[in-house]
Amino acid sequence: MTDTAILATPKEWPAILLPRAADGAEAGKRAAAKPGTKARPGAADPTDLDAAVGAGAFAGLRRAIRDVGATGTIAIVGASGLRGRGGAGFPAADKWRTAAGTAAKGRVVVANGYGADPATTTDQVLLERNPYAVIEGLALAAFAIGAHEAIIAVRAGAVETIRVLEASVAAAEEAGFIGADAFGPGRRLDVSIATVQGAYLLGEETILLKALEGKRGQAEQRPPHPATRGLRGLPTVVHNVQTLAAIPWILVNGAEAFAAIGARDCPGTILVQVRGPEAAGVAEVPMGTPLREVAALAGATAKGRPVKAILVGGPSGGILPPEALDTPYTFEALRTAGAHVGSGSVIVADDRACIVDLARVLTRYCADEACGKTIPCRIGTRRLSEIGDRLAAGTSRAGDLDLLTDLAADIVGSALCDHERLATLPLVSGMRYFRAELDEHLERGSCPAGVCH
Amino acid sequence: MSFIPGLGLVRGMSLTLRRFFEPKATIRYPEVKADIPPKFRGRLQLLYDEYGTLKCETCFQCAQACPIECIDMGGMDTKGRFHVHWGPAETYGERREESALRRSGRTVPDPAYAHFEGLDVGPLDDILADFDYDPARLLPILEATQAAYGHLPVAALKRISQVTGAWYAQIYGTASFYSHLRFEPPASAAQAAEVTARRPADASFLAGLGASLGSRPGGDA
Ligand SMILES: Cc1cc2nc3c(=O)[nH]c(=O)nc-3n(C[C@H](O)[C@H](O)[C@H](O)COP(=O)(O)O)c2cc1C
Ligand code: SF4
Ligand code: FES
Repeated sequence: MTDTAILATPKEWPAILLPRAADGAEAGKRAAAKPGTKARPGAADPTDLDAAVGAGAFAGLRRAIRDVGATGTIAIVGASGLRGRGGAGFPAADKWRTAAGTAAKGRVVVANGYGADPATTTDQVLLERNPYAVIEGLALAAFAIGAHEAIIAVRAGAVETIRVLEASVAAAEEAGFIGADAFGPGRRLDVSIATVQGAYLLGEETILLKALEGKRGQAEQRPPHPATRGLRGLPTVVHNVQTLAAIPWILVNGAEAFAAIGARDCPGTILVQVRGPEAAGVAEVPMGTPLREVAALAGATAKGRPVKAILVGGPSGGILPPEALDTPYTFEALRTAGAHVGSGSVIVADDRACIVDLARVLTRYCADEACGKTIPCRIGTRRLSEIGDRLAAGTSRAGDLDLLTDLAADIVGSALCDHERLATLPLVSGMRYFRAELDEHLERGSCPAGVCH
Repeated sequence: MSFIPGLGLVRGMSLTLRRFFEPKATIRYPEVKADIPPKFRGRLQLLYDEYGTLKCETCFQCAQACPIECIDMGGMDTKGRFHVHWGPAETYGERREESALRRSGRTVPDPAYAHFEGLDVGPLDDILADFDYDPARLLPILEATQAAYGHLPVAALKRISQVTGAWYAQIYGTASFYSHLRFEPPASAAQAAEVTARRPADASFLAGLGASLGSRPGGDA
């Protein structure tokens, strides 16, 4: 199993994606445990279908097929307010309506379990611990939009994830939840597992679809969105695995119950990967939780070294100052603050970190990984990364910061996919919140944290 | 579509007549410049240089490099018909070498077109049959080919192009995009396995991240 710790969270936080172990003793222990200690819910075999069904798996799918119907399922998910967990936070039901409303020879649902951020394992952890929730959510989405083909895309290097998934898909097919006659006589659902690898950008949906078509991984112009024209020209709904895993819960417990969890404009929970000086691991947090509480899961409290910055969003994340610790963890609030949900990564940096070097490393990675299709992508990110390099090396030119502001605005205005738009965040947020430290590098060529040069 | 005979002709002629009677605007060109849209780049065409030789060397480099695959090679056949992509690139190898020699006095090395080692295509043909010669399954085909030969020899790419009908530039473009696909044999089997487990680019990113944080983040790295 992926060697990631599951961080203990307060008992009153709902656990939808990673259910807590059933017996009260362990649940109590988990709540009492100090931040950072390992707790392993569902230590039993996650591929055990009978146990999963006993715990309620596939009840949502049964309800959808027997009682609610396809349009009813879309309506329930719409009423729950579920938004995509892949980073952009697009309402799930809107995508479904588009796909269901597009006349086509077939439709496809793709579970995006690629987990692009190399520092994040949330999606792998979910797939390994709760595979049936993802498979059931996939089946529900397929049922709702009238798809007979579903693909789970995972990283080829994630051997354990693939093993768990293959066993679970086979068991679910054996039991008739997916496969031939899954949605009633003659209405099948073929679920396949696709392993992809070789580029960061495979997480981006149009690029993932390119890879599934056997093509070079480059972004596609939108619209048409994949929900209208996706894999092999068919309407395709791409969802992050966390989005899918929440759907069965919604069908069983109702839209109102889900809408009551987390933030009002963004209900539900999300998996975050927290890293701090004291601990690191995955935790399920309600949307809208203040960053301070998320950071505290990794042991970032008043006692330890002072928090200098929080990097939120992964390789293209924003670098936020300690004053931003009260920001709620929602799509909009983080964007306004200059970061984004992204891969769900929250990294707490203490006073030993250098913001300039951090922004440089992030921007460099984003530039190296850009697909090269458009000019903001190919050249814009490269120029950004050069500005970062010059800052860190103490060789900045006059006007570099103005150039940075201009260039970032141009990239955001002309980008083809979100990657290059987000790639501006590390340097722009660094400049917005840590101007004094930038000036130190710029004017004196010195690094207060002693990391650069 | 209407089937009244001659309607298309009448339509066409009416356009001609309309243009014929339109007021003509004559600009005294170099002195007065017409307004051109800011992104207008003129007509992109590679014709003949001042010595009358074709400028394009048919090296297919531009077609391979073009990220949106908007560049394609084409030309007139002996009957004056225009075709997009004439055929497999090696057809032009001779022309290319000749013009490279003429222009630079040396052959231009390009692994994609250099003389390549022969290959026992038996295993490859089995792979292609397994995947039904379907270019839409190019990635698994390339991965299986790499598994069989240890890397992707140029001859194998050419064979895939020849048999599936996928254009060589597309195959080469795909093979060069994904970091786990390689054109050279790996230094060792262990190295190849490492690339699958974690890409070198990701590993160095994580190392850089750790360094700029000034501390190893707690727990797993
Ligand atoms: C650079 C980049 C990387 C991405 N990586 C991932 C990823 O690893 N996993 C993921 O689910 N979505 C990723 N996305 C978002 C997807 O494009 C897409 O929006 C998402 O899979 C849709 O699912 P959702 O509706 O559940 O959010 C990425 C987007 C960008 C621009
Ligand atoms: S084929 Fe080669 S020589 Fe011809 S236009 Fe393209 S890059 Fe230039
Ligand atoms: S990464 Fe190339 S267009 Fe977005």
